Amino acid sequence: MEHIANREITGKPSCERSAFFKSRYLNAPLMVDIEYISHLTDSHRKTGNLDVLLRRATDHAWALSHLTPVINQKDMLAGNKTRFIRGAIPYANYAAEPFLKEMRKEEQDDQSKHTAQGIGGGIGKAMEEAAASGLRLISGKFLISSEDYESFREICEYWEDKSFMEQGNRLWRKNFKEAEFIDNGWKIGLYTAPHEPCPEGRLILDYETAVGRGYHAIIKEIEAKINSDSPDSEGHVSRLEFWKSSVIALRGAIAFAQNYAAEASRMAAIESDPIRRAELEQMAEICSRVPMEAPRNFQESVQSFWFTYLLGHIEGSHLGYSPGRLDQVLIPYFKNDPAISIGKAVPLLEELFVKMTQIEYIASLSWQGLGHGNLYQNLILGGVDENGNPADNDLSMAILQAQINMQMTQPTLSVWWNDNLSTSFQMKAAECVKTGVGYPAFFNQKTYITHELNTSGLPIETIRRNSAIGGCTEPTLQGMSYGIVQAGFVNHGKMIDLVINKGVDPDTGIRMHPARELKTYQEVRQYYLDIMHAAIRNWQQYWNMVMIAHRQTVPLVFCSVFVNDCIASGKCMDDGGAVLNSSITTLSSGLVNVSNSLAVIKKLCFEDKTCSLSELFYAVQENWNGFELLRKKALEVPHWGNDDDYADDIFLDLFKEYCDWVRGQDNYLGKPYDPSMLAISTPVPFGKVCGAFPDGRLSGEPLADGVTSPFPGTDLCGPTAVIRSSSKVDHTQIRGGLLNLKFHPSALKGETGSANLLALIKTYFEKPGFHVQFNVVDSRMLKDAQEHPENYRDLVVRVAGFSAYWVEMSKALQDQVIWRTEHSI
Amino acid sequence: MCNRCFAACPSQAITVKDGTLVHDFGICSECSAKPCTGACPYDARSITGREISADELIDTITRDIPFYRNSGGGVTFSGGEPFHQPEFLIEMLKRCQAAGIHTAVETCGWASQTDLRQAIPLTSLFLFDLKIINPDNHLRHTGKPVEPILENLSLLASEHPEVIVRFPLVPGITDTWENLNDILGIMKKNGLSRINLEPYHSLGADKYQEHGLDYLLHNLGHYESGNLDSFRDFFISRGVSCDIV
Repeated sequence: MEHIANREITGKPSCERSAFFKSRYLNAPLMVDIEYISHLTDSHRKTGNLDVLLRRATDHAWALSHLTPVINQKDMLAGNKTRFIRGAIPYANYAAEPFLKEMRKEEQDDQSKHTAQGIGGGIGKAMEEAAASGLRLISGKFLISSEDYESFREICEYWEDKSFMEQGNRLWRKNFKEAEFIDNGWKIGLYTAPHEPCPEGRLILDYETAVGRGYHAIIKEIEAKINSDSPDSEGHVSRLEFWKSSVIALRGAIAFAQNYAAEASRMAAIESDPIRRAELEQMAEICSRVPMEAPRNFQESVQSFWFTYLLGHIEGSHLGYSPGRLDQVLIPYFKNDPAISIGKAVPLLEELFVKMTQIEYIASLSWQGLGHGNLYQNLILGGVDENGNPADNDLSMAILQAQINMQMTQPTLSVWWNDNLSTSFQMKAAECVKTGVGYPAFFNQKTYITHELNTSGLPIETIRRNSAIGGCTEPTLQGMSYGIVQAGFVNHGKMIDLVINKGVDPDTGIRMHPARELKTYQEVRQYYLDIMHAAIRNWQQYWNMVMIAHRQTVPLVFCSVFVNDCIASGKCMDDGGAVLNSSITTLSSGLVNVSNSLAVIKKLCFEDKTCSLSELFYAVQENWNGFELLRKKALEVPHWGNDDDYADDIFLDLFKEYCDWVRGQDNYLGKPYDPSMLAISTPVPFGKVCGAFPDGRLSGEPLADGVTSPFPGTDLCGPTAVIRSSSKVDHTQIRGGLLNLKFHPSALKGETGSANLLALIKTYFEKPGFHVQFNVVDSRMLKDAQEHPENYRDLVVRVAGFSAYWVEMSKALQDQVIWRTEHSI
Repeated sequence: MCNRCFAACPSQAITVKDGTLVHDFGICSECSAKPCTGACPYDARSITGREISADELIDTITRDIPFYRNSGGGVTFSGGEPFHQPEFLIEMLKRCQAAGIHTAVETCGWASQTDLRQAIPLTSLFLFDLKIINPDNHLRHTGKPVEPILENLSLLASEHPEVIVRFPLVPGITDTWENLNDILGIMKKNGLSRINLEPYHSLGADKYQEHGLDYLLHNLGHYESGNLDSFRDFFISRGVSCDIV
């Protein structure tokens, strides 16, 4: 038996307190907390006379001011999304339908059938506790008391005809001429499930303003606007409505903070331990100061940031809501605080990261499966300042150190790469990679700057300063973009299925396209493109209709306050108040399998004439059974990821067609859709609904992961060839991109190993690539962890644009990570 | 069992025995068409190694030049034994040098002095394997006399500035203190100051079986990482820079 290679770097919490937080998290079950939605619903019942923004702000503020402030043992930072360690708010105001279906034991949406969730860790804990007590299990992995379950049923019934999802359905089902195509698209797995249960996120607020100015000053500014805006000017009334709503939302937020201050004082008064009492008194003082006023020291700045971050998180049903460039936002407070050092900042950051990880979300089963419970809170370090100088600093180092120590799944760390980042920072980033935790992911800032210069036309200084990653791999401008709210993913693999089966989905028999006679390679390619065009266009148009319902039901008011120039223009984000409204992307995954399949078709059927197209399609429909030698020939045709132009040119051609097509249509804010490709967990469910492909892939196997990652087992020329292929893609055309590389720990050993890793990143970005991330783990360890999960409770690996606890991943996703090609350099 | 390879072999080197396929390496003519590998749909049969021209190889190598530039890396010619194909080796070294690529040649030292002399000005770094210094033991374990190897080492040490000794640690065979002392002595004599230790592992055992060869080193066991430190310390404390690779 070969022994398993250990990860080279194994961090541990910097202090006993952080170790306590981590262990408390790892041992907590997943809970649903209905407190927020109960209060929100109570208010909503009474506010029917208000216009939508005022009503939204009033309901939210009412709920915020009535939330129970919970300060847990040893906490230094105040504020939680729920009353539980691991808790989720069920946003019935966004979508009540999936919950009601579960309560009524009706069939869930079509994608849920293909959804696999994990069963270990906190999920397993919830299941155990549900079995052992009077608690109920909801949405597969969350606990809820029987009493709350009944209350929640009433809440859902209230929202059944009022939620964002229901309003959206009314709009598009009635008005969209391609409504049937969308419905069928869900049935056959062309699209991910409806996104209404968790539509928002990929949003980064302007924390610099929120923390630096304080809410009191911002309220004053808004009130001045309300008083001075001329009633004669166009849009006056709607501006007033937004501004007044903003003040209400901010006042609710202040009440939330003040409740924490009062609770800390109350607890201090009855605390017998003098050390803890002093801590609670300090917490009370801090919470009565921030976020209302500017912080006086580093700790206050962290608390202030956390309040605003949390309050924005509570308002919406976010996925990918991100802290952004926290090392830039908080560095002034770090620098001006004589009492702080990297060593003293680390424990506070460790607590902050545990708190971020404690936020859970509950949505439809399919979205929980797709996101794998991950919140995609992306914190990006380094990069350049507005003048183009490297911006990594002491806080960047402290943040890396805190995550090396803690290895929490949130926030996922990223690095904005440029060659001038300090060597110590680069080496620290490599050290973090070698924990095996899968972050930081590396992003090429120059590529995104070029993209944004071309599409937004904003000044380069603005773009440099504000560029960040919102969510897993989508770059955005922090504090000035409408959070990228898109409809979900389109499955390129399913399009190949439709090409093979003459426009009919083989599983359901649903016809999506007319059959077509295919006599040349060009005709095959065109057939795919036409299918892709219809799939994308319909998806984008459908979502434009749904987002009208967003404005009518759940517009974000609090979040809009901290997105420029909403306040200045008097418009919320849903009305186009953000500086950047071309940030809405169209997402898809599986293009590598399409391009490999077309390469095989081109070579075997039209060049070598090894077999006819119908013979190849027949073999594929038979899942290659009886055609093993033909499959072998298919696998011998060049595949993506080997720096072979034959395969790579096809990918580049399809990539360009996709980007051009996506851009050809405007989003709901009147700007062109921006092309993106991501993966999250889609390769697994998307692959599950697809038959075999001409590229040799078997029926039901996952699609290629990431965006430019090769299909497992078809990259035969090592990591540099993968990178050379990937770097042929013009990443400035697209917002996003994802390349996974998996290394055996021995390949990156020691300082030389770190230096080699950094050289690899540097070379890729010179070419220029956009994104690369690494799993550094012995596959044998992962197999062992499948067999003995009890020994691996804290093992974290990289999946797509996020890292996850191994034991909480589904078996299918675990297999997919093991399956990826393991490299050495 | 599909028997496709069985039917494809023109020399009938593949037979069925007790329900499994047996390949007789004695009968196999290693024919160039290799129909048996093409016949297997699951790639269970493959030929180790492939023919490649100098043009093709330099094309592959030069594609990675940007990586070499950033990592300080380059190309290592290893083996087997690169001096087993001296014309090809020299040709590739010339082309790499012309392209400005750093080159390393890893050799067991069993090479002609003419070939070595040709390679010296073309090579950036030599990795020179030393296994056993005692002539009798060397002959017994490697099948070749040690003297020509030591002469070649002296030649390289005197005419090339970058030579690193590579020393495979094999339990009970090369890792005796006597042999370690001998290695150290040879290095001192030749003015060499860098050594890489290569601890024995059994990852190659399957390869022997696949190639129809007997694996003679079963049951040697593994090193624990603690044991390795004592070997490294032996060299470091005597002024030799030592890495475990």
